[in-house]
Amino acid sequence: MDYREIVKTSLQVLRRNVMRTSLTMLGIIIGITSVILIVSIGQGAVKFITDELSSFGTDYFQISPGADQFSTLTGSNTLTLDDVEAIKTDPSLTNVNKVIPVSLQAARVTANDEDETVNISGTTTDAPAILRPEILYGEFLSSENNTASEHVAVMGSDASETFFGEDTNPTGERIRINGTPYLVIGVAHFESALAGSVLSNSIFVPINVMFREIQGQERIQEINVSVHNTELINQTIDDIEVLLRDRHDLNEGNENDFRISSAQDILSTVETITSLLTLMIAAISGISLIVGGVGVMNIMLVSVTERTKEIGLLKAIGAKEKDILTQFLIEAVVMTVFGGIIGIILGISGAFVVSSLVGIPFVVSPVAILLAVGVSSLVGIAFGLYPARKAARLSPIDALRYE
Amino acid sequence: MATKIPLIKLEKVTKRYPLADGESYQALNGVSLIVEKGEFVAIMGPSGSGKSTFMHIMGLLDIPSTGKYLLKGKDVKSYTSDELADIRNKDIGFVFQSFNLLSRTTVIKNVERPMMYAGISQEERTKRAMDALRLVQIDNKAENLSNHISGGQIQRVAIARAMVMEPSILLADEPTGNLDTKTSKEIMNHIKDLNKKGTTVILITHEEDIADFAKRIIKIVDGKIVTDRKK
Repeated sequence: MDYREIVKTSLQVLRRNVMRTSLTMLGIIIGITSVILIVSIGQGAVKFITDELSSFGTDYFQISPGADQFSTLTGSNTLTLDDVEAIKTDPSLTNVNKVIPVSLQAARVTANDEDETVNISGTTTDAPAILRPEILYGEFLSSENNTASEHVAVMGSDASETFFGEDTNPTGERIRINGTPYLVIGVAHFESALAGSVLSNSIFVPINVMFREIQGQERIQEINVSVHNTELINQTIDDIEVLLRDRHDLNEGNENDFRISSAQDILSTVETITSLLTLMIAAISGISLIVGGVGVMNIMLVSVTERTKEIGLLKAIGAKEKDILTQFLIEAVVMTVFGGIIGIILGISGAFVVSSLVGIPFVVSPVAILLAVGVSSLVGIAFGLYPARKAARLSPIDALRYE
Repeated sequence: MATKIPLIKLEKVTKRYPLADGESYQALNGVSLIVEKGEFVAIMGPSGSGKSTFMHIMGLLDIPSTGKYLLKGKDVKSYTSDELADIRNKDIGFVFQSFNLLSRTTVIKNVERPMMYAGISQEERTKRAMDALRLVQIDNKAENLSNHISGGQIQRVAIARAMVMEPSILLADEPTGNLDTKTSKEIMNHIKDLNKKGTTVILITHEEDIADFAKRIIKIVDGKIVTDRKK
């Protein structure tokens, strides 16, 4: 059997009815396009989040005050600097690297005749371990700044631009936060696409100064803990949970009055959502592929009827059942695979457009493409088999006599 | 003394077709016939006489309702449908009155088709197809689409295709039915040439002057042989 010749013949036959062939392929095209599109966008989104998280590193986790997000937002104040110190110094927590408390509050900032409300972030010298800033001028907060409660500030790059203009080194200048003067000792820039602009628009001050001068109380919004060994991060989280429950006098049955979330948690949430979405779209595409397959079967049945005499002639000159079966099956498969390829092209182009519009990485999944080709040929075989068998089993004389 | 096995031997062959109203139609009514290798037989009869059915049975496109058909001494009932296809492919060449070629397919691809089913390589197929087309003087149209050539040319291509596997039998069902007198004569001369080279030819026709090309004329009326005359 000369398969190359049969594929060529099939292409000829399909070209004869361009309109009919295209309409028949539509279901397959829609099905494959949506699968490729959604898989690509989904993977792009996951890659975006992964890149984002790895720009901070996946070697840390966050402790927030309050039992749930609502109480965090409404100002629950259950974490203290003593908690921070306890985590830092507990001899059993060997995997803990840096412990960084953060206190946040918006405040009125004046400098250089500008007057703006800016987010103030009170933190410690260890913050760069997680925030990974690029220091443009000067330096970040030192531990002496904290212990001596010095009135110093590190400006985010955008905040610096707001008050002092672009490409200006403001170190040595003074700004006023809620009326109190602070010495600018550095400018930090943050790259992260998600949090970068918020961070670059903030001003960082020593956390002790933050409590005393700006919050008016000891109030921690988050404690970031980085670890030496990422693989042991869950064990460390569990250990810290035990430690904090003990420190907060929580008995069995009492809920935690704090929440611990790691970058891994966020990533796995995103992955769960994406795979759920992909599964859903795959199911919908499956329906489209079935409908497309039925369309292919329908057209192949029409084709068999139209070409009954041709089948008779081919049988007269020596075509066996297998030869006729193969020819019609290949025609169906060529049609669905062709539809599949168009679907892949449309899907990839669509994914490219969407990803550049939304600003997520453009990801082409080779697995999805292979799967699309596989599925579309499978649809061709499954739905082409019945018409092809019908053609193959025609008796030569009935076929020749068909009017 | 060893008896010579005839190429085609039909014994009391009948063919009955069921009709839509539950009745049946007797196309052949007990036909017995022996055709030896190298003969040129014309089968004549008015339309509806059963001559086409006769040819279809001899060409293994149809099977007898009763009676026996021995091809080269073997009962064709013992063959499977794939074996029958194989015999049609290698031993029998067909030329029909109409619908001989695959439309929108080139002349040469039409002639190559039987060789494709026989598993012959592309190179060999092209060579043999061109040789066959040269023999019926239509090699200059090899790359033309079959629906872009004339009726006479189509029949010549059909003859080329029928002969390309070098079968022992050529079955021609009204091969000149749609052609003018001059073209008919040309086609018949090609068929005559093949017979001269040793191919057994069985020709179905209702035209006396076409039948005259044959060496033996059999007349069928109502599914029965009424005369069997050798020249």
